[in-house]
Amino acid sequence: MTALPLPRARPAGPPAALFYLLLVAVGLAAFLYPFWIPAETAFAEAHAADAPFVAAGVGLLAVLAIALEVRRGTTTGATIAVLAVLSAMAGVLRLVDLPGGGSGIFFLIVLAGAAYGPRFGLLLGLGAMSTSALLTGGMGPWLPFQMLALAWMGAGAGFVGHVTRRLPVSAEVVALAAYGWVWGFVYGAIMNIWFWPYLAGQGALAWEPGLGFHGTLERYWRFYAVTSLAWDAAAALTNAILILLTGRVALRTFRRFEARLAGPEDFGSARR
Amino acid sequence: MSAVVTFAGVAFAYADQDPALVDIDLTVAAGDVLLVVGPSGSGKSTLLRAVNGLVPHATGGHFRGSVTVAGRSTRDHRPRDLADSVGFVHQDPEAQFVVDEVEHDIAFALENLGMEPAAMRRRVEEVLDALGIAHLRHRSPTTLSGGERQRAAVAGALAAAPDVLVLDEPTSELDPQGADDVLAAVTRLNADLGTTILLAEHRLERAAPMADLAVGIDRGRLRGPEAVPALLADYEGAPPVTHLGHLLGWIPPPLTVRDARRLARDTVLPEPPDRAEVPTPGDVLVGARGVRVRLGHHPALRGVDLEVGRGEVVAMLGRNGSGKTTLLRALAGLLEIDGGHVDTLARVAYLPQDPNALLFAPTVRAELEHTLHLLARRDPEAVTTWLDRLGLTDLADRHPRSLSAGQRQRVAIGAVAVGGADVLLLDEPTRGIDPPSAGALEQAVADHAAGGGAVVLATHDVELAARCATRAVVLGDGDVVASGAARDVLAGSLFAPQVLRVLPPYLTVAEVAGALGR
Amino acid sequence: MPLSTVPRFHAVTWLAWALAAVVIVQLASSPLYVTLVLAASALVAGAHRISSTGAFRLLVGAGIVMALIRVALTALTTHAVGTVLFTLPEATLPRLLGGFTVGGTIEKEVVLQSLAEGYAIVALLGVFGAFNSVVSHHELLGSAPRAFHEAGLVVTIAAAFVPSTVTSWQGAREADRARTGGIVRRRGRLVRTVVPVLETGMERSLRLADSMDSRGFARHPPGPADTASAWGALLALMSLAGSFVALVGRRSTLAAVLATTGAVLLVASVVLASRASPRRRYRPRALTGEDLLIMATSALALTLVAIAAAGGEGSLSWSASPLRSPDLAPLPAVGILLLAVPALLPTRPVPDEESEARTTADNARTAQPVAS
Repeated sequence: MTALPLPRARPAGPPAALFYLLLVAVGLAAFLYPFWIPAETAFAEAHAADAPFVAAGVGLLAVLAIALEVRRGTTTGATIAVLAVLSAMAGVLRLVDLPGGGSGIFFLIVLAGAAYGPRFGLLLGLGAMSTSALLTGGMGPWLPFQMLALAWMGAGAGFVGHVTRRLPVSAEVVALAAYGWVWGFVYGAIMNIWFWPYLAGQGALAWEPGLGFHGTLERYWRFYAVTSLAWDAAAALTNAILILLTGRVALRTFRRFEARLAGPEDFGSARR
Repeated sequence: MSAVVTFAGVAFAYADQDPALVDIDLTVAAGDVLLVVGPSGSGKSTLLRAVNGLVPHATGGHFRGSVTVAGRSTRDHRPRDLADSVGFVHQDPEAQFVVDEVEHDIAFALENLGMEPAAMRRRVEEVLDALGIAHLRHRSPTTLSGGERQRAAVAGALAAAPDVLVLDEPTSELDPQGADDVLAAVTRLNADLGTTILLAEHRLERAAPMADLAVGIDRGRLRGPEAVPALLADYEGAPPVTHLGHLLGWIPPPLTVRDARRLARDTVLPEPPDRAEVPTPGDVLVGARGVRVRLGHHPALRGVDLEVGRGEVVAMLGRNGSGKTTLLRALAGLLEIDGGHVDTLARVAYLPQDPNALLFAPTVRAELEHTLHLLARRDPEAVTTWLDRLGLTDLADRHPRSLSAGQRQRVAIGAVAVGGADVLLLDEPTRGIDPPSAGALEQAVADHAAGGGAVVLATHDVELAARCATRAVVLGDGDVVASGAARDVLAGSLFAPQVLRVLPPYLTVAEVAGALGR
Repeated sequence: MPLSTVPRFHAVTWLAWALAAVVIVQLASSPLYVTLVLAASALVAGAHRISSTGAFRLLVGAGIVMALIRVALTALTTHAVGTVLFTLPEATLPRLLGGFTVGGTIEKEVVLQSLAEGYAIVALLGVFGAFNSVVSHHELLGSAPRAFHEAGLVVTIAAAFVPSTVTSWQGAREADRARTGGIVRRRGRLVRTVVPVLETGMERSLRLADSMDSRGFARHPPGPADTASAWGALLALMSLAGSFVALVGRRSTLAAVLATTGAVLLVASVVLASRASPRRRYRPRALTGEDLLIMATSALALTLVAIAAAGGEGSLSWSASPLRSPDLAPLPAVGILLLAVPALLPTRPVPDEESEARTTADNARTAQPVAS
């Protein structure tokens, strides 16, 4: 007796890819406003100190939009449960003090994202940071930025994973370690951008809207080098080391459970 | 009586694996309690998960035949659609809760069903009463004991007023008290509400008496449904009194101590042979003297003395929280001792309660080899010996995580023992394992002690203690309450094994058989 | 006074209060007003906090650190014309790191200005800190619109899994030591602890998924309303993106319009999705009269300050050049004082008498012997 396969839940409505693309675009624009916002706009005039909050608000809107996307019938109990458990682990890791600074939250997201794909990685980034905020009992105005930054890291890891899947595991682990290393810096740079406009003013490190891309970049690089470079270098190194050490076994574990996350079922005839 | 669950020609195989269910035809009448019995890996879980459609909707694989529950087929309905007909509880108390408050977690099913708030409220109150957990309603599940958690999980499954409740080894990770509470609650549900119950259990002492019918499953094939005593007649994991009844020709073989006593009234047994001398223990391998341990503010051990000699198998008994695990960890050198001292005159290895904390290698063999690697020893014979002793030779190349709980426990014991430790400290080694694994374990323990080692077992399993221990120690609230030859200590009290309660002074079925010359 | 674990007021009430306070700090950034806001936050946090983990102190501390960094960096690198306090030795950084000069003259105006601005940051984070300490995050998630249920569930479950993750980790570490009789081999220890924790976690999550599926999670297939809400969210994102483009093109009004459209569309999508969800909330917390009082006073506070700002009240913002002492205007000051209203409302006794009575009755019932 053969059976009809149950219809796979295909979400009606806009394709998910479009969503995520826009999320990246909007988020980037929100984050990088110091670089492109011209001096004559309402923001820049008197309320430079407001800008981070407007950006945070935009970030929050983006997160909410993604939260709406999550529920569109493509999410099974298994996805939610696995996201939750991995978020719990990542959240706990963030609280662990590692030698050299940096935190364990990154390596888990990179590896899980690589194993399960960009969408999962993105959601895991959001989930991990939210859980971490819940654990520390502190939701600051920087939270949407942190969530989005980790979300992009996870999503990027998913794309890297797609590519490196065909490579031997050791090559894959090295590639992901390099990715994690780079993101140690990128994450720091992104979070610093959030903080930077507070320094608006005349100084050599300060943000002045309307300087043009080059001028702004120069100033930002100085700011970053002075405040965060050393710290981020340590974090990046920690990421790379953790991924190199645990990448192989973690990927193996994650891939063993891949089938369960893929979702529905096959009512075909049994063998024999 | 109408049938509420029907399996018709069901066959199922997980993707790329051998068939898990073969040609299953089964009808369960409404209001029955059906016991599902079988060794680990036999297909019990698969069978139960097929009732509400988790197999194959959640697990994937190839499915043939049909399962109908309350008139609906799992072909057309997903588990979420059947939530109002089937409630499901599995064995892991740590993985059943979605919300951090018991009351709200119970309401989870009702929220999903979109019930009216007033109806939800009434329903939750009813369920809290039915399970007797109303006093726990505002607690967080993480603060509850195992038994309380499983009862709360049953409440959550029951919230939607299903016709059928499916329980997959609900008590396997609980202590005896918790297990009793859960099974009693489930019995009450069946008696009061008429809920049909499908229950898979290893602990047949408690579960067998409550069932109306039983089915046996072995390698995917079903036997039954039959009356429980008939099905258990030749099942290795039947309660000791059933084996006793079989041995002594009692018809029908009893399932409980109470029934057995009645049948035993007319039985006369030959005098028990002179008590074999308890072999004097060899030299002391590890000893604790006046050990005091504080965990936080709580004194876990208040001055405990214990000596373990060569060739001994010491059973450590006691309630949860009496200090068994703490004492084992102290002997293993894993704890800071606040008073007294521990003399370690031989190598000691400790197996924690949860074998999953230990397993990390890709194959069983690699797991054992790794321990040797860590100890910088080369001894390929030890690996083969232990694989053999524990019955793992066929499984040597499998991934430990793909094995059943009982098999994993055996692998963990192997991984710990292969290092050549003289003293093995095993913490609850038989929790949640099936009879064949328990048998292999007992054999391995006996062999190890006979070969010049010593074993200390912390356990709730009185039958295990009766069968393998030479000495027994009872802990209560951090003190040693009783200590001596196993026979004497077990005879004393609450820890009496079933056979002892029916036919004193015999401790085990094997002893009775021996006395009868069989 | 013992801490209650039940939040005193509804999570939405606290959200409204916090939002009002945040906007007020933006509008009235002069040090005197900022002090009032900070005081109000401290009072509210002190009166109604629900756990002892000092979130208020934590965030205020973070704010102080941020402020000090800002003061130091600005003072060291800004050399405008002003009154020199003292002079530090100069150093010019290499070209790679920016090639600018650090040190030199430290000027009074620069220091004071950045101190004032830093102080505003501290007050802002104080509001966040107070919010975090008085609200139950679980309740906040539970109060979220139904549309966000799945997303919120991830965080709820994750929070519930944290204790077992920690125990799992400790167990794996101990098992590793126990395996070799107490000797710890450093090499590969990370792998030996990470793998069991990961594996156990994954297995647990799948069992939880079984439990969720069996209880009807995600039961209803997405309907037309869900599709509409998805398109709405997408359009909202596009609108936001458009507003950025407009900003670059220096069309401020267009940008503002697009941004507002985006926000409105998003809200509409959320409402649509929430309505379409068949889930009903169990025992949702109702808004009491006190909740409404707080929301009203917070809104009033914001209105008063906004009126003052619109009226061009000078005292709202303060600048170090030209240097003058800050003053306090009555209208905005009164407005800010209204933020302290929650602190004036009495805290509930712990535990609640009503729930205590119910608990005793329950205990009496369950104490009956179970038939064996």
